This record gives sequence, C-alpha cells and structure tokens, in this order.
Amino acid sequence: MLDVADLVTAYGKIEALKGVSLRVESGRITCLLGPNGAGKTTLMMTIAGILQPRRGTVRLDGQELTGLTPARIVAQGVALVPENRLVFPQMSVHENLLAGAYQRRGRGEIASDVERMYARFPRLQERRAQLAGTLSGGEQQMLAVARALMSRPRVLLMDEPSLGLAPLVVAEIFRIVGELNRDGTTIFLVEQNAHMALQVAHHFYLMEQGRVTFSGTPGELAEDEVVQRAYLGARRAAG
Amino acid sequence: MLDLIDALQSVADGVLFGATYALLGIGFTLIFGVMHKINLSYAAASIGAAYASLLLLAGVKAPPVLVFLMAAACGGVIGALVYFVAFRFIPLANPLATLMSTVGLLLLIDEIVVHATAGVPLNYPALFSDVVIRAGAFNLRGDLMFVFALGCVAMVLLWALLYRTRLGIATRAVSQQPVAAQLCGISIDGVNILTFVITGVLGGLAGAMTGAAIGVLSPLLSLPLTVKGLIVTVIGGLGSIPGAIVAGLLVGGIENVVQFFRGVSERDLYVMMLLFAFLVFRPGGLFAPAAGRD
Repeated sequence: MLDVADLVTAYGKIEALKGVSLRVESGRITCLLGPNGAGKTTLMMTIAGILQPRRGTVRLDGQELTGLTPARIVAQGVALVPENRLVFPQMSVHENLLAGAYQRRGRGEIASDVERMYARFPRLQERRAQLAGTLSGGEQQMLAVARALMSRPRVLLMDEPSLGLAPLVVAEIFRIVGELNRDGTTIFLVEQNAHMALQVAHHFYLMEQGRVTFSGTPGELAEDEVVQRAYLGARRAAG
Repeated sequence: MLDLIDALQSVADGVLFGATYALLGIGFTLIFGVMHKINLSYAAASIGAAYASLLLLAGVKAPPVLVFLMAAACGGVIGALVYFVAFRFIPLANPLATLMSTVGLLLLIDEIVVHATAGVPLNYPALFSDVVIRAGAFNLRGDLMFVFALGCVAMVLLWALLYRTRLGIATRAVSQQPVAAQLCGISIDGVNILTFVITGVLGGLAGAMTGAAIGVLSPLLSLPLTVKGLIVTVIGGLGSIPGAIVAGLLVGGIENVVQFFRGVSERDLYVMMLLFAFLVFRPGGLFAPAAGRD
C-alpha cells in the first residue's frame, strides 16, 4: 500500500537516510525498530512531507507522494502522529480534534467523527473543554492519535507513541493500536519499545544508521536479538 | 478641582485614542504569534492604507464611512503585498533578514506616500466630529468615541474570526505548533497570507482612525506610530492579543495625561520610561508570568 523506495534525506551534508526501501501492507501493522539516531523519525517526517528527500520516492497505492506539500499528503490519506505528540497546547481538546479535520467539509460528518473519537477515548470526552497542554502525557498521546484519525487516513503513521509514558499507559496505547487495526486501519509504527511492538506487529523492519538492515515477521528473529540490535546498534559493532 | 477634571478628561481622550494603538499592537503581535517575526513596516503600511483610501476616492465625494472601509480594504491588499515582498522569499531562519526587509519596506512606503502627495499633509474626514456628549463635568468627543467604537468592533470581529471559525483554528494551530499544523493538513503559507491580510485590514482601520482623530494624514506619522505600536506590543507581551488591547489603551491614556501635565515635548519621554520599567520588571509583558519569557 505504502511503498518507500531508495529514500535519501539529508541535513546539510549528513545523510540521515541512506537509501531506505520498505513497504507497508494494507490492513496490517508494520513496525520500524532501531536505536536512537537510526533515522526513524527522519523517515516519518519525509513520508509526511515535512522534510524533502534528496532522492527516492514515496508512493501510496502507486500514487507518487514525493514532492507534495504536507497538506496534499494528508489529503491523499496519510496521517502522522508525531513524536512527542505535538498537541496544540493552548487549544481545547475539542478544537484539537477539529484541527485534525481541517481539510474535510461537512460539519455533520465531522461532528459524528468527533463523537466516535470520544466513544473510543472516553478520557478525551471528559476533558473536551480542557486546554490540551494541561493533559497528562498519556492523554496527550490519545489526543494526538484521535486528531490524526480525524482526517480519515488510509495509513496511520505513529512515531514512538510510547515515549515517556508509564508502563500501564504504554499497554493502553498498544491496546488501542491493535483495536484500530482490527477496525481496518493500516498502521506504520516506529518504536523503541521492541517488546511491545513485536507483540502487535505483523511485519517489522530494523533500521540502523540510515539503512534498513532486517525485514521479517516477529517470529523470524528472536526477541533478544532484535532488542540487542535495536538498542545497542549493529551486531557487528557489538562484536 | 478644575485641574483634576481636566486631567481626567485628558485620560479619557487618551484612552479613546488608545484604541488605534491597540489595533496596531494587535497587528504586530498577531504576526509575531504566527511567524515569530517582527514586521517593522506595519505602521507605515497602515498609514499608507489610509492615504490610499483618500487618493482612490479623491475624485468622488465619498462619505467618511466609505473612506474608512476603503482604508481597511487597502490595508488588506497592502498586507498581502508586504508578505510577498518582505517575507515570502526571504530566508526565515535568519532572524535579521526579515527585520531588514521590513525596515526597507517601511522606508519605501514612506517614500511612495511622500512622492504621491508631494509631502503635503492631507485632511482626513472624521465622523461625528460635531457631536459632544456631556457626562457630568466631562465632554466626550464624538469623533474619538466613534474611533473607539470602531476599534472595539474590529477587535470583536477579530476575536470571532480567531475563536469561532475554521480559519481561526488553523491560525492558532500554526502559531502554537507549526509542524503539527502541517500534519493536520493546514498550509502554513495560506495561514501566513491570511494573517497579513487580517492585520493589514486592522492596520488600515487604525490608519484611518488616526487620520480621523488628528484630522490630517502626514508621512511623519508612520515612525512615531511604529514606535508606539512596538511599545504597546512589548508592554502587552509579544504574542498576546488581550495584552496588546490593554497596553494600547494604557499607553494612550498615559501619554495624554503626561502631555496635559508636562507638555507635548516631554510626552514620549514618559512613555519610554514606562517601556523601560516593563523591560526591567516585567519583560514578558502585562499578562506573562512574572518570570518573563514563555
């Protein structure tokens, strides 16, 4: 469904992505694991159009996304839940959700989608009039997910949704990820929490130093092997 | 006793005129909120819009209301032009680049005005200048009341736009979290243009209100108004619209009462001292937490 081919993204002279190719299948959860600085967030920001690649392509169902503005990419059906959530702190929970539906027309449909989000995330309903900046980390993460879903994406990209959250909250976030997927949402998830990610993923990629170094299903590679490479970097470097 | 009444009268007049400072402060602060840039050409563009309304309607005997609306419309157009000339293609990562481009534009707009009018001040129409409302010992000038009311209407409309519409959500989203705003499908460029048009409309109104309150337009107005607008923005707190409103009225009232007691030559001195006090004791402005920045 989402095809990334030979993507190179650089900050000045430093290439953060050195030719990344991967594929996100429709209806599945695809995970991208890797250590800090591997280029995972750079990849997400490039797919979403915030960063421009130097080379390579991103396609959604064969349609070229490379070079489009972030707004056009959202319109094509790709939504990113960014690292650190990035909710609009001085806006209410409700307004955050409306911002997520910015490109859509039809007040009635948007309103019913907002109600659907409140049904899925009851905590957000309780806090609908509260400023998003005053929410807890877990609540902000749920808001960021709900806001992204408000654009009715075909693919939901999530960048480290477990970052900085307590274990119970992390479990809740992953329960929601699984639930969204069972309801038909295609998910591309970047994680450092390899243990949780491997439990929900249908397919996963390992990324190290700007390159994809492994692609397979969670059963194919022992978890401690994944963890070692994801946290400690390349096996070669570890000896 | 008479002195006290006259002093209070001057405060009231100053606060009423302060509505123009409030509008200018809102303009500076809105652009800063959305782009994190200071647009130094803003007050000059506002005076330029008021001039444009006079020059465009020079041939016809237009009622003052039409002149005011024309000033607002011209302000919107000039605002968009300012964005494209001084911001759109200038590297925004460099903090000095847009400062320089907007100073250049300030001088350019002044030059255009001087050349278009041969540097001669033009009379500006006022509304209700013959009306004086007596309230006890005080006289409230009709033209100043009208200027104040117009300012209030503009502020209410701005509030409704920012807090009750889809475009308002987009504008606030960009000012609070530009990356997330783009991820929501909001075009930053679109919001920037919108912000410059809105602030341009407010500036055009402020220019017209200044002309109406003073009775004339002069190219000499743009520099003092730039300074006042920036002072109001700093006292109100960069990025704070309520702050700009309160600070505008405050500066208007204070400068007029100082002028009453100490004369026009000392007026700006005291306003500068007020600014100094804020920079030392409350650098974040009126409504910021005492610690200041962010």
